[in-house]
Amino acid sequence: MTRSITGGTAEDRQLVAEVLAGDAAAERRLYDAHVDRVYRLAYRLSGDPDLAQEFTQEAFIRAFDRLETFRGDARLSTWLCSVATSVVFNGLRKIKRFRQREVGLDAAAPQAAPRREADPDLKERLHAAIDDLPRGYRAVFVMHDIEGYTHDEIGTALGIRPGTSKAQLSRARGKLRQSLAAFAGGMAG
Amino acid sequence: MKDDQMDRPLDEWITDAAQSYHEPPEPPKEAMWQALQNHRRARHVIPLRRGRWVVWSTAAAAAVAVLAIGIAIGMGLQTDGAGNPVVAVDPGPVTGDDRTASTALAITTANHLAQTETFLSLFRDEVRSGDRSDLASATARHLLATNRLISDTPVTADPALRALLADLELVLAQIAQLSGDSWEGETDLITDGLEQSAVLTRLQGLVPAGSARTGSSL
Repeated sequence: MTRSITGGTAEDRQLVAEVLAGDAAAERRLYDAHVDRVYRLAYRLSGDPDLAQEFTQEAFIRAFDRLETFRGDARLSTWLCSVATSVVFNGLRKIKRFRQREVGLDAAAPQAAPRREADPDLKERLHAAIDDLPRGYRAVFVMHDIEGYTHDEIGTALGIRPGTSKAQLSRARGKLRQSLAAFAGGMAG
Repeated sequence: MKDDQMDRPLDEWITDAAQSYHEPPEPPKEAMWQALQNHRRARHVIPLRRGRWVVWSTAAAAAVAVLAIGIAIGMGLQTDGAGNPVVAVDPGPVTGDDRTASTALAITTANHLAQTETFLSLFRDEVRSGDRSDLASATARHLLATNRLISDTPVTADPALRALLADLELVLAQIAQLSGDSWEGETDLITDGLEQSAVLTRLQGLVPAGSARTGSSL
């Protein structure tokens, strides 16, 4: 294992101990130290400011509720990331289910038409291709290639092995290349 | 290993373009912190105080009154006009009435546990299926009140039952607090808590399906 890289630091453990002892200032320090990263991830995965805010709040509520379960095997930031990804995925799953119930409306409206009519540029095409990635691929791609997480961190956060994270990233990149092949060809030509 | 060797980074132009995917704005830190604090404060003022009556529906109030009478009989207590238990000053020597009282209490407790098991099972299934019922928190409040009444009776001499009632109190209190705003996030926490404390399994152990046990453990 790579405990020396991914293991919790003494500062992490100290901070957690202070929060668990009821130190309100320590609670705020923990929040300030990690809120940006959690929010960024929530936003990247949800793409919606309200959802990102809601997911971030929920992630911290859960984290504070379960802080005593933090054993220091991983960094606090990684542990928080795992809480956040769980909140985000659960939240997005519920939203997806909710939206599927509105299938009648969705089917009736040519929702994709505006985007396609607009002859999307590279970014739009790429963003759509990322959206279309299977959830696991998308999470790994966003976390690694966009947010700069290591495979160890991703593995801990998503409950998968680092090797699996690497494999998923590889497949995600492959799918993106495939999706963008025509566009890239156009650019090259 | 293989992936590392076989995989190659995306072309630079793709990686650059990907940076703008759902590019986060500045996080509303203070607003989120305030919301977090409000949520946690609200949680700490759960109305756990005994004797505080919440808003009851007529039917539920009647059901709880019946349970309260059963509990009162079981405790050797009397009730006041409103169905609130009043502590008997001197329970007196053990008599044949005590046996009746004990049985009444056991039946009442078994009924309560069976109702709670059904309720929690339905609740868990609703959460899993993504449905939500606005009646859940009202029902939980009713069960919570009964749970507290039973917790004050001699049945709590049984350590396993006492522990179960304590866990039920926590779960029911959490569900009782659910509101439109908190539903989405809280329900996962609650169902996780159900799993971790194995509340349903323990309930099922005490109340086998289809029969309300009235044995000595109750």
